Amino acid sequence: MPTPELIELNILGQVCPSCLMVALNEMNTHREGLRNGKVEILVRTDHRDATRTIPDSARAMGYEVDVRKTASYYEIRVHCAK
Amino acid sequence: MRRTAKNNKNAPLVPKAAAARRGLDKRYIAYVRDKVNQLLQVMGTSALRPEELDDGALLELDPIGIIAGSFEQILEHLRETNRSLSIARDELQAIFDATGVGISIIDEDFRILKSNEKLRRLLAADGAGDITGRFCYEVYCGKEGPGLDCPAVDTLATGRSVIVREVSKKGKHFQIATTPFKDGEGNIIGVIEVLMDISDLKTAKDAEREQRGFYLAEKSKLAAVIESLSEGLFVTDASDRIVSFNRAARKMTGYSESEVQGLRFQEFIAGLGGPSCAVIEERDFKSGELSITSKDGRHRIISVSSVLLRDGDARHGEKVFTFRDITEEKHLQESYCRTEKLAALGQLSAGVAHELNTPLGSILGYARLLTKGKNLSPDQRERLDIIAEQAKRGSAIITGLLNFARRSDPALREMALIDINDVIGGVVRMLTTEAEKRNITVLMEFGGIPPLMADRRQMEQVIINMLLNAIQSVRKNGQVSVRTSSAGDSVKIMIADNGPGIPPDIRPRIFDPFFTTKPVGEGTGLGLSICAGIVSEHNGSIDVDGESGKGAVFTVTLPVNHS
Repeated sequence: MPTPELIELNILGQVCPSCLMVALNEMNTHREGLRNGKVEILVRTDHRDATRTIPDSARAMGYEVDVRKTASYYEIRVHCAK
Repeated sequence: MRRTAKNNKNAPLVPKAAAARRGLDKRYIAYVRDKVNQLLQVMGTSALRPEELDDGALLELDPIGIIAGSFEQILEHLRETNRSLSIARDELQAIFDATGVGISIIDEDFRILKSNEKLRRLLAADGAGDITGRFCYEVYCGKEGPGLDCPAVDTLATGRSVIVREVSKKGKHFQIATTPFKDGEGNIIGVIEVLMDISDLKTAKDAEREQRGFYLAEKSKLAAVIESLSEGLFVTDASDRIVSFNRAARKMTGYSESEVQGLRFQEFIAGLGGPSCAVIEERDFKSGELSITSKDGRHRIISVSSVLLRDGDARHGEKVFTFRDITEEKHLQESYCRTEKLAALGQLSAGVAHELNTPLGSILGYARLLTKGKNLSPDQRERLDIIAEQAKRGSAIITGLLNFARRSDPALREMALIDINDVIGGVVRMLTTEAEKRNITVLMEFGGIPPLMADRRQMEQVIINMLLNAIQSVRKNGQVSVRTSSAGDSVKIMIADNGPGIPPDIRPRIFDPFFTTKPVGEGTGLGLSICAGIVSEHNGSIDVDGESGKGAVFTVTLPVNHS
C-alpha cells in the first residue's frame, strides 16, 4: 500500500479560531482521502484541551487518532481505521 | 508527500461577510455561538470558550457548516458500522443455527433469551413452538425449578465455567458446558449453555467396553486353558525367540518362564541336550521326536509338533510348538514289543525244547555208559567226556528254554504277598560264596517297603539273574549294591555294579533272548530276557542306565497291588 499523504497543520500558539474547529474543517476538506487511507492529518498544537476534543470528534467520525507529546507541544495524528 | 495546510487568520474578509459582520445584531452572533456549542456537545465534545472563537471568526469560519460536515461523516461512519454489524449479526446467526451443538442463552432468572435449532430439536418437546422467554428448567428438564445439580446454577453463583461430562435427558446422553454471560461492565447477566449430544459416542464406548471385557474374559479363559494343558506349549515370535510357555512345558523342562523368555527356541532345545540348532532349523520342526534332559537331569523323549500362527514365510512367522512327553509311552512300547517277542519265543521254545530233550538225554546217557568201559584209551575217554559235557550243556540250554516258556503260563504262577527285602536277602546269602570267590562286595540297602503281590519263586529268579549278571559283569575286585525303596504305589529295586557298564549301542538289545556279550560257553543269553518277561507279567518295568565305563544300574519297578 502506498504511503499516505501527510497534511500538516501547525497551530502552535493559536487560540482563535479553536484548534478543534480548524481540525474539523481540515477533516471535512480531506474526508475522501482520509476514508480511503490516502491522506493522514497531523495537527501540532500546544493547547492541551485539543488532545481530548480533536480525538473525540475524529473517532466519532470513524477515524483513528494517535496523540504524542513532545517537549513543548502535542502531535495529534488522524488517519483511517485499518 | 507532505503538505502544510493554510491557516491564515489575517486574510482579508469577503466583502459581503465584512458588511454582514458590521450590521448584524449581537443577539444573532450569540445565537449562532450557542448553537455551535450545542452541536459540539451533541457530537460528544466540549463547547468552545469565547476566546477560542471570537465574533469575527464565528462568522468567517462558518462553524455550523463545519460541524454539519463533521456530522455527515459521523452519520456515514454510523451507517457503515450498522452495515458491518448487520452482516456480522447475520453471520453469527447462521453459525448459531448451523453448529452441531445446541446453544442456549438464559438470563439470571433462567429464562431462555435465545436458543438455536439444534438445541430445540434435542431438548424441546415436539410442537413446543417458540421457547424464548420460557424457563429453561421447564423446557429442557421438565421440572418446576432449577435443580441443585444444574451447571447453570453453579455458573450463575460462582461466575465460573462448568463442564458436566455426562448427563442423561430425554433418553439421550449429553455433555454440557456453561459459561457466564457478562455485560460491558463485567457483571454476570446470564449463562451460555452449550450442549453436545454424546449418545452415539457413549453407545460406542459402552460397546467397546463390553467387547473389551469379553475379550479380556476370553483371553483369561484361553490362558487358563493353555496353563491347564497336559502338553507343553511354547510360543515363539518371528525371530524364533520364546515369548511364553505354559505350566506343562515348565514342568517338562524344569525351567521357569523368566529363565527361558527371550532365548531362541533352537538354542534352548540344544541346551537341553536336544539336536543342534542347525539340525532343528533344517528339519524346521513341523513334527518330530526329541531326546532331552530336563534341568533335574531326567531324560525324556518328547514328541514335538509346530504350527505357524499366521500366513507368510514359515521361517519368519510366529509359531506354537507343542511338546508331549512320550517317555513312558516309548518304554511301554519297548516293553510290549519285548513281551511279544518273548511270548512268541516262549511258544517256539517249549516245542523245540521238548523235541530236543529226548535225543539229548540219549546222547548223555550212552556217553556216560561208555565212559564206564574198562578198555578205553585216554583219547577215547577224553572224547566221551567232551560228548557228555556238551550234552549236559545242551540240556542246560533246553532247561533254560523250558523255564523261559514255562514262566509265561499264568496257571503255573503262585501269587502271594511277599516281602521283597526278604527275597533279596535270601538270594544274596545264596550267592555270597560266588561273590567272595571273586572278591566282590555285595551291599544291601533296604528301604521301608510294603509287601508285594507276586510269585516268590519268579522274583527269586529275577534277583538271582540280575545279581549274577552284575557279579559276572564286575568279574573281580568290585562292588555290587542292591537298594530297595518305596515310590508311591510301587516298589523300586536298584541293582548297581561298578563293572564296565553297557555301551549305548547295545543297550536296547540286552533284554532280547539269546543276546549276550559274554564269551561263547558262558551263559545262554536268556537271563535278562527271562527277568524282563517275569517283571512284565507282574505289570512292572525294568530299565537300565549308566554310562559306558562307569558300571550299570538296573531298576526294577513293581506295583504294590498286582492286578
